[in-house]
Amino acid sequence: MLLEVRDLHVEFRTRDGVAKAVNGVSYGVDAGETLAVLGESGSGKSVTAQAVMGILDTPPGRITGGQILFQGKDLLKLKEGERRRVRGAQLAMIFQDALSSLNPVLPVGDQLGEMFVVHRGMSKKDARAKAVELMDRVRIPAARERVRQYPHQFSGGMRQRIMIAMALALEPALIIADEPTTALDVTVQAQVMDLLAELQREYRMGLILITHDLGVVADVADRIAVMYAGRIVEQAPVRDIYKTPAHPYTRGLLESIPRLDAKGRELYAIKGLPPNLMDIPPGCAFHPRCPMARDVCRTDAPALHQVADHRVSACHFWRECLDA
Amino acid sequence: MGRYVVRRLLQMIPVFIGATLLIFLMVNVLGDPVAGLCGDKACDPATAARLTHEFGLDRPVLQQYATYMGHVLTGDFGTAFNGEKVIDLMGSAFPVTVRLTIVAILFEVVLGLGLGVLTGLRRGRLLDTAVLLLTLVVISVPTFVTGLLLQLLLGVEWRWISPSVSPQAAFGELIVPGLVLASVSLAYVTRLTRTSLAENLRADYVRTAIAKGLPRRRVITRHLLRNSLIPVVTFIGTDIGALMGGAIVTERIFNIHGVGYQLYQGILRQNTQTVVGFVTVLVLVFLAANLLVDLLYAVLDPRIRYA
Amino acid sequence: MPEQPPYEPEGAVAGTGTGGAMDLAASEARSLEPTAADPRGRPRGLWSDAWRDLRRNPVFIVSGLVILFLVVISVRPSLIASGNPLACDLAKAQQGSQPGHPFGYDGQGCDVYTRTVYGARTSVTVGVLATLGVAVLGSVLGGLAGFVGGVWDAVLSRVTDVFFAIPVVLGGLVLLSVVTSDTVWPVIGFMVLLGWPQVSRIARGSAITAKQNDYVQAARALGASSSRLLLRHIAPNAVAPVIVVSTIALGTYISLEATLSYLGVGLKPPTVSWGIDISAASPYIRDAPHMLLWPAGALAITVLAFIMLGDAVRDALDPKLR
Repeated sequence: MLLEVRDLHVEFRTRDGVAKAVNGVSYGVDAGETLAVLGESGSGKSVTAQAVMGILDTPPGRITGGQILFQGKDLLKLKEGERRRVRGAQLAMIFQDALSSLNPVLPVGDQLGEMFVVHRGMSKKDARAKAVELMDRVRIPAARERVRQYPHQFSGGMRQRIMIAMALALEPALIIADEPTTALDVTVQAQVMDLLAELQREYRMGLILITHDLGVVADVADRIAVMYAGRIVEQAPVRDIYKTPAHPYTRGLLESIPRLDAKGRELYAIKGLPPNLMDIPPGCAFHPRCPMARDVCRTDAPALHQVADHRVSACHFWRECLDA
Repeated sequence: MGRYVVRRLLQMIPVFIGATLLIFLMVNVLGDPVAGLCGDKACDPATAARLTHEFGLDRPVLQQYATYMGHVLTGDFGTAFNGEKVIDLMGSAFPVTVRLTIVAILFEVVLGLGLGVLTGLRRGRLLDTAVLLLTLVVISVPTFVTGLLLQLLLGVEWRWISPSVSPQAAFGELIVPGLVLASVSLAYVTRLTRTSLAENLRADYVRTAIAKGLPRRRVITRHLLRNSLIPVVTFIGTDIGALMGGAIVTERIFNIHGVGYQLYQGILRQNTQTVVGFVTVLVLVFLAANLLVDLLYAVLDPRIRYA
Repeated sequence: MPEQPPYEPEGAVAGTGTGGAMDLAASEARSLEPTAADPRGRPRGLWSDAWRDLRRNPVFIVSGLVILFLVVISVRPSLIASGNPLACDLAKAQQGSQPGHPFGYDGQGCDVYTRTVYGARTSVTVGVLATLGVAVLGSVLGGLAGFVGGVWDAVLSRVTDVFFAIPVVLGGLVLLSVVTSDTVWPVIGFMVLLGWPQVSRIARGSAITAKQNDYVQAARALGASSSRLLLRHIAPNAVAPVIVVSTIALGTYISLEATLSYLGVGLKPPTVSWGIDISAASPYIRDAPHMLLWPAGALAITVLAFIMLGDAVRDALDPKLR
């Protein structure tokens, strides 16, 4: 495995109490594989990714347990200097909002070239040439001229391409993309997603795609991990999960996608609100919203049951769920 | 850019006229412009009448203002109470106040920015809390009290400095007065830098810079500071005008013969030409500094476009 | 592409980053709490939230108590000072602390303690009245200019610029040097005259922002009258920033009064004022520092209390700045 997260726990200490953002997440990605991490906001999918990248804000955030094995080494045991050298070079991240994620007062060429200056010790001139090369690679027209421009002078799609180019710069083994297309127009979303998928194939990188958009996932992901209240509730190959979800939460998510063939029917919505992370319900965290909940769900937290090869579900009644 | 500068210059004209006219009216309408012309004694009625006519004081105020400004534009600022040309007074006073202001700005930049960066990066630590409290105290104690106390301690008790500044007012003598003049702004610069830094520390682009694996030093200098210091630079630039105009208190405490001293004398003796002349130049300095800041802004922040 | 209005670049840097990693986590945590969703309740939510924050803020509590104390002794100085601030005995001039007269005597032989207590009244009166005047004049002029727009707005903006171009202390010297009245009114009048542009700029900004809000546009489209728009929608939006600026300004007005009195153009005896006492004591600072330190200390604590109160109120009303 390229990356293996084992039993990760993260909490945030705030004035109002301790928010348990990640509660024992385990997942893994292989080289060349795409893992989609799915969940509502607050499910802990971004926080897990930040912990992997080592960009968690500490304090208030704190990793209270678990391992993050990357190429066999536990990142959490590395010294900050070693960790930093992995960041950006071996392990890169693409953020949601490219406009705010790029430095507004530096030309994009400087921001791209910086990767080569810092990690590879290149001269500024060579780094600039590399930046142009990268911008060509992500198909930004007139890269040679635009390398001197500032982020605000690019369109949303072009900016996200620059983010991708930056992540790609040093050909990392793994890229984490945190909602890379959410901020974009629908038409541009597909282009950016296709580009990302294509580059991933070309470089045989591992990709963790964090999203709440099931539509995006179906096309590009190999496997899906569904998160709820800081836990993985179901993990499965993409085809299986669409065909027969093994967790009522996954099923709810799938049913709430608008479908053309169901026109006129009322859209399904999971009832209730996501849990308060300061006060996660006992037992199965999903039980207050679950249509299948029974007494045992209120008291016993379900283990991850092996449903099939490469499939797990954290539901006491996964069998019923599969049959439904 | 060029068009913007021209437009700003044009916009400055009414402000300039308004501010000088306001001062002109205050001095003329409220005061007795002739009172100061006969030395320390009051003028006898005949002389007063003659002087009133001679200076055109019997004409409508607006006309007087126009005449005065006409002279000013040709470089004639009139005569001070002791018969000296106001322009000569300016020649001796402005260099002193400019030196004082330079010292004050240096304090703001070195001490204010330095402390602001230090505390902004270490929020909540002991140093941060201590500096924050100190800035509050500095802001709360009026400049003249700070000045008097420093003069007492450094000048009289410990004899580190001379309690009053010589007429030459060399840079070395202006260090403590410069610190006093800067004190309140210094505290504001520290707080502004700290807030701005803390705000930007949470910005997405800083997170990106960390995710790129940049060393901490590079994240701070190249990414964080460039962005955080924009409002601070603006503040310091705008402060130039305020410092020169506010130097009057500091100059009085340390007996510095600068702009404030001359203005104070002019006001005491109700000499219109001294007061209006000096204020005119101060207003010009203020306007020029503001224009400069706006232009600097465009250089520092590429997102700002002047049309 | 943010094309900034060229005249006021202060507001331009706002758009750096919509929230970092910490915000993200915090908002992830917070967004899960059930929130009272009442679109019209926005201002009320702001105020009750602010009040809840303030009650838990030690800075607010301490500064609030100091100010309360100041107000009480301003109204009834005899509660803690039995003497007469104007009853002086030259024979006791410059004497230090002694039983019954903890702060000693000043250059005229007046009791420093009594004068310091009575000085609070002057400072608080000047501060409060100047602030009220500035807040009212500034919000009305600024709010109307922002709301009406057009020529009025342009004219007011230029007038504001004119006042900003005049250094405050200098303006005070020029204007007040010819005043012979020994009441507090000329000083207050001067502060209102030079202070209103600061508030008017803020009120104008809020009015313009409010005017562009969707719900105000909607109200206008539904035929709400101008006065209703102003009172129901625009005024509430401008109140918070004006309060914040005014509270902090109150402290600076008190400080300014003392400065002007020190320069000899502020208040005049027999008014009892810290500024006058500090000014009178300054030549004797070496031999009898107590004459200067007590009123100066009282002045500093008062200004500090108002500035800290303003800080706390700002933090509570604008959580973004925290």
